[in-house]
Amino acid sequence: MISRLFSTPKGRVISVIVFLIITMVSGGVVGFLQGYAEASGQTSVVEGRSFVWIIGAIAVVLAAASFAYGAYWMKSIDEAAQEAHKWSWYWGGSAGLGVGVVALLLSMAPASENWSVPTLDGRTDPVAYAASGAFGLMVVLLIGYGIAWAWWWFSRR
Amino acid sequence: MNNRLKVLRAERDWSQAHLAQELGVSRQTVNALETGKYDPSLPLAFKIARLFEMRIEDIFIDEAA
Repeated sequence: MISRLFSTPKGRVISVIVFLIITMVSGGVVGFLQGYAEASGQTSVVEGRSFVWIIGAIAVVLAAASFAYGAYWMKSIDEAAQEAHKWSWYWGGSAGLGVGVVALLLSMAPASENWSVPTLDGRTDPVAYAASGAFGLMVVLLIGYGIAWAWWWFSRR
Repeated sequence: MNNRLKVLRAERDWSQAHLAQELGVSRQTVNALETGKYDPSLPLAFKIARLFEMRIEDIFIDEAA
């Protein structure tokens, strides 16, 4: 059934929508659990180790599902579309990594100790900074990838 | 690499979408092939040759030769 869904452009669009709904619902469940626990004064639940395991388990399942989805997607598209993704991942991803390397090298400058760096939700603990760094690298990679992908197809119109 | 895909398609009065469907690729890929901006893999080249009942070298022109 899944392979049939991926076999047509319309089916692939539907699969993207379904996948996005699943990820948003998963995120919503975690957000609801956290919000409910905090609202009912059960902060120990949110701060406890078990909550980390719940979020971790959902994150691992989502990451695995994303990978499986990506594999199905990659196999379902034609060879030119595959080539576009491979080309974009190498050139756009490499360019994005280059931006990340610049940020990394800048952080080695002694003066950078006093710089104020924005984090995802305004937190200033080490985990928040690490997560923001990972998120930032993901963003520059995806921007590079997106530009390269658009360039590949635009130049072959 | 140049090719005669556009001419062959026009001779049969096929649309790009129809050719794409016959080959199992997207219309964008057919366009990229026709404009010579994307060279097909050997399996796809054979598929195209079979579809038009011609030899690969009669469809794709190796300019370096």
